[in-house]
Amino acid sequence: MAEVPSFIADPVLRDHAASPLAGHLVLGEFGAVSDDGPGVVLSERFGLAIAEAAAWNGVEAKLRAAIKTATGLALKTAPGTGTMKKGASAFNIAPGRWLVSGGTDDLVAALDAAAGENGTVTDLSHGRTVIRIDGPKSRRVLSKLFAIDFADAAMAKGDGFATVHHDIFAQIQRVGDDAFDVYVFRSFALSFWHLLCRSAEEVGYRVD
Amino acid sequence: MTSHRLSAGGRIDREKTVRFTFDGKSYRGYAGDTLASALLADGVRLFGRSFKYHRPRGLLAAGYEEPNALVTVTTDGAREPNVRATELEIYDGLVAESQNRFPSLSFDVMSVNQFAGKAFSAGFYYKTFMGPVFGPLKGTRVWMFCEQFIRRAAGLGSAGTVADSNRYERMNAFCDVLVVGSGPSGLEAAQKAAAAGKRVILCETDAVFGGSSNWSTIDGRVASEAILAELKDRPNVRLLPRTTVWGYYDGNTLAALERVADHKPAPGKGEPRQRHWVIRAGHVVLATGALERTLVFPGNDRPGVMLAGAALRYAAEYGAMPGKRMAIFTNNDSAYETAARLYVLGAQIAAIVDVRRIVGDRARALAGQAGAEIVAGHAVVATAGRHSVTSVTIAPYAPAAGTLSGAKTAIACDTLLMSGGWSPVLHLASQAGAKPVWSDDLQAFLPPESTSGWEAVGSAAGEGIDAPAPVFEIRAKGAKAFVDLQHDVTADDVRLAHREGFRSVEHLKRYTTLGMATDQGKTANVPGMAIMADALGKPIPEVGTTRFRPPFTGASLGALAAERYGDLRPERLTPMHDWHVENGAGMYAAGLWYRPESYNQPGETVEQAYIREAKNVRRNVGIVDVSTLGKIDVQGPDAAEFLNRVYTNGFAKLPVGKARYGLMLREDGFAFDDGTTWRLAENRFLMTTTTANAGRVMQHMEFYLDCVWPNLKVHLASVTDQWAGAAVSGPKSRDLLAACVTGTEVDNETLPFMGIVHGDIAGVPVIICRLSFSGERAYEVYCGAHHGQHVWEALMAAGEPFGIQPYGLEALGTLRIEKGHVTGAEIDGRTTAHDLHLDWLISKKKPFIGSAMMNREGLTDPKRWSLVGVISLSGEKLRGGSHVVEGTRDNPGRGIGHLTAMCYSPLFGKYIGLALVENGTAHIGTRAYATDPARSGTHIPIEIVSHHFYDPKGERMHG
Repeated sequence: MAEVPSFIADPVLRDHAASPLAGHLVLGEFGAVSDDGPGVVLSERFGLAIAEAAAWNGVEAKLRAAIKTATGLALKTAPGTGTMKKGASAFNIAPGRWLVSGGTDDLVAALDAAAGENGTVTDLSHGRTVIRIDGPKSRRVLSKLFAIDFADAAMAKGDGFATVHHDIFAQIQRVGDDAFDVYVFRSFALSFWHLLCRSAEEVGYRVD
Repeated sequence: MTSHRLSAGGRIDREKTVRFTFDGKSYRGYAGDTLASALLADGVRLFGRSFKYHRPRGLLAAGYEEPNALVTVTTDGAREPNVRATELEIYDGLVAESQNRFPSLSFDVMSVNQFAGKAFSAGFYYKTFMGPVFGPLKGTRVWMFCEQFIRRAAGLGSAGTVADSNRYERMNAFCDVLVVGSGPSGLEAAQKAAAAGKRVILCETDAVFGGSSNWSTIDGRVASEAILAELKDRPNVRLLPRTTVWGYYDGNTLAALERVADHKPAPGKGEPRQRHWVIRAGHVVLATGALERTLVFPGNDRPGVMLAGAALRYAAEYGAMPGKRMAIFTNNDSAYETAARLYVLGAQIAAIVDVRRIVGDRARALAGQAGAEIVAGHAVVATAGRHSVTSVTIAPYAPAAGTLSGAKTAIACDTLLMSGGWSPVLHLASQAGAKPVWSDDLQAFLPPESTSGWEAVGSAAGEGIDAPAPVFEIRAKGAKAFVDLQHDVTADDVRLAHREGFRSVEHLKRYTTLGMATDQGKTANVPGMAIMADALGKPIPEVGTTRFRPPFTGASLGALAAERYGDLRPERLTPMHDWHVENGAGMYAAGLWYRPESYNQPGETVEQAYIREAKNVRRNVGIVDVSTLGKIDVQGPDAAEFLNRVYTNGFAKLPVGKARYGLMLREDGFAFDDGTTWRLAENRFLMTTTTANAGRVMQHMEFYLDCVWPNLKVHLASVTDQWAGAAVSGPKSRDLLAACVTGTEVDNETLPFMGIVHGDIAGVPVIICRLSFSGERAYEVYCGAHHGQHVWEALMAAGEPFGIQPYGLEALGTLRIEKGHVTGAEIDGRTTAHDLHLDWLISKKKPFIGSAMMNREGLTDPKRWSLVGVISLSGEKLRGGSHVVEGTRDNPGRGIGHLTAMCYSPLFGKYIGLALVENGTAHIGTRAYATDPARSGTHIPIEIVSHHFYDPKGERMHG
């Protein structure tokens, strides 16, 4: 890994790192799990490299190219679109801004190097908690919290939204047929986790 | 009680008996019954007492339009008042009670009110409680005195004080077509949209789909089971029973209430009691049907008088026949069909009294089927019976003139059914902005041609409605004739309002409260308007109609609040939160954040703990969690220039590896926020803000970059949560760092005051900046938030030989008060840099946000309140927020300032504080008082001193 200062890229060192959900996330099945199994499966994707990449005005395409260089992810231009490949993912969160995550530990350093004069990269690997919600009832549970249309027609795989649940800012990417990754600020993660579990009780949930 | 339950029929499940209590008495019903149908089947006639006059009232309707039968449901001590018995599905263990009666429903002492009838006429409150213009009872004082008694005597159910333990939730939904109502028209609309591949939501307020076709075939249509089955199978259709769409808002956003578990003894696991739906629909189909209207005549509120369609619904849907021998009073044909069907179901129809002189062939044939005599050209002029109808009196009636003549005749009956015509349910269209259109033919308001994203279909659009004779009221001498049964508004009240000068229907509504009860006058509005129009001598459409407002029917506050149960706010926790809790910290809410207040050792009070913690910082070393500080990543080639404009002091030339304390002003020249900003690289800064202002500072700067200086190449990103921060302060802080930091020196040369170094602690990269809030030598250690607890624990371990102790907000406050540093308590939006003695941060070499306005006359006035220190001279504990006065307790004089902060200072052995005092610097060395008359009653002598209590030259933190 390239030697870069921690303010540029600060990979999560598993041996020394703790999730905000550590000690609170309990594995198992909860709520009204039916004979068909739980309605949703919840899990934390801890330790991911996460960065926000922001293009300077007019060179958005160059920054997208830089993201491709660093991650192999080919992004489209439309607002809210995104993509995934081999554990890495990126989606548009604001004009000229993408949330990029996953891949290898040197993702952020590689992004920063690739971005060059075309934009800026901010490491958020410690600043966001990523919770995956998967299963046949994932849209129902998310719809309790977010005024977002999660239907296939409105949100293709890879696409994302920046939204909010009351005071909790959230960025949500659809990562599978019924799977969504919710990025929340680390400090809100436990509150959000409790809320999500409570909202999933009705359909039954499993924590992996 | 005699059973009114038919031997067969209805959609109730006779195999499942349900036990419940009403007013303490046990009853049985069947699954599928409402409280109203079950009690009716058991012969109960009396359901409540009326609002003003406490008159006995029975069932008028069978659905959501019911004005009378409101009950309170009690669950585990929690009370839900004003539930309509006609909608309440019974379940085992249901406990319901009637309302507005004392001591009991059948004997209510307040029913004397009905004999004082004239006194409670329209405008009663306005007339009676306006006091004289002078004297002890002037103005509204009479009202304020009497209100408590009136509120008790008049009214609906009362809420309890036991907390509602039910859960509620919100659901957001999107669809192409929302169909409201599942009668034949609604089902057809849903089928059509679904077949076209649209996403469809179908909401039905009742438990079963089908709408009025479940009990009536009046317009000859039935709800198709086949369509319903098809809809259930389609993946693009969502069927929502027990869901009332109650609000229609801009952008085709509609609000609905789903009663998920109100029909169950207890909600299922994880199930809410009610669910608040917010539906964003491309198109809305209003298949909301029509409501039968009352006729207004003396005694029309006697129990046993009900809407004809309601009686049919009870009999057909629930197998509960309201009476044995029924009379019918109508102005239209629909009642004839009702009569024929009731006859088939087992009722005896004594007579059909029709205001019309000529009755058509179809109606005559139906009357024949019902075995009923038609009394045409007659009207009901009175009802008799103590708690329930035993007979009605009729008289010849001329509908065109509205006059009565000739001999009265009595008809013996136990039930009087009335039908005053039908009103399409156009509430949602009205909420959507549509102005209803009067139909002379149907004598009803119809929804207009839609110009936006909705349409009305079926009887909601006036289709299939029988045209009535234009008769709304029978004016006969005798008992009160009610228009609005729930608010006890009579026809005479409406005319009185007219005589007193009210002309607008909106004023009529407010003066008489017609249509302002919980039912919004669903059965009363059109008759009320007709009576007003008659008094004005104008046609009804010229009188107008009132707009309907949400909610169509009541929505519980619990459902609206939805998942915001318990604490209303989410909690923000720092990476070291669990460590603080495990180590005895009491946590203190600071905005959304939770921060340690103090780490109390066994037997310690908070004050003892913070004094100990603060002393340890001055003597050894302490550690405090500063992760809550706002942190903003400021990047870009113009970042330094941008900061130079945002801060009052210079940032352009800040070297890499250095931090600087900065002050921001608002545009109006007042102080906004302060903090240190660290230059990590040529084009990269880490800005810190106060905890409370983090969001506002971010917005402030984003606004400037987006709107004012779009040419500056600067990006901002919130990194508050990316970094864990721990401040280690005290004379031994450097020794502590030297013992645990690798990869860098931390000596004074390498890491001078406001210097920054990069290193590692316990295998984790850290950034260390030397700055001080306590006035001691101090450092802020930042690391990736996930590593926060690891680094904190490493610092605690390394600090053990140096006597390290964690400290909380109280000690932090104590140390900063002693040092005279300001926080949000002083940067309160009303103070300037000068007031806070921060002039040294004001650059004269450059413009910055606020510089143009900061020297306005009022902002440079020497009399302004400015920052000083205060010391309690009596040894009494000062109170934050106390006023600073110059006089004694008996004659304090005017306030010259207030305390912004206080603490016990271990340095001075006294209670000290910071204060903003008028012309503060001139008061230094003088004495005053800190007075707090309202809370603690203290009036404490103080000395006003410089805010720099401690080490004014800063030798300790620079050394």
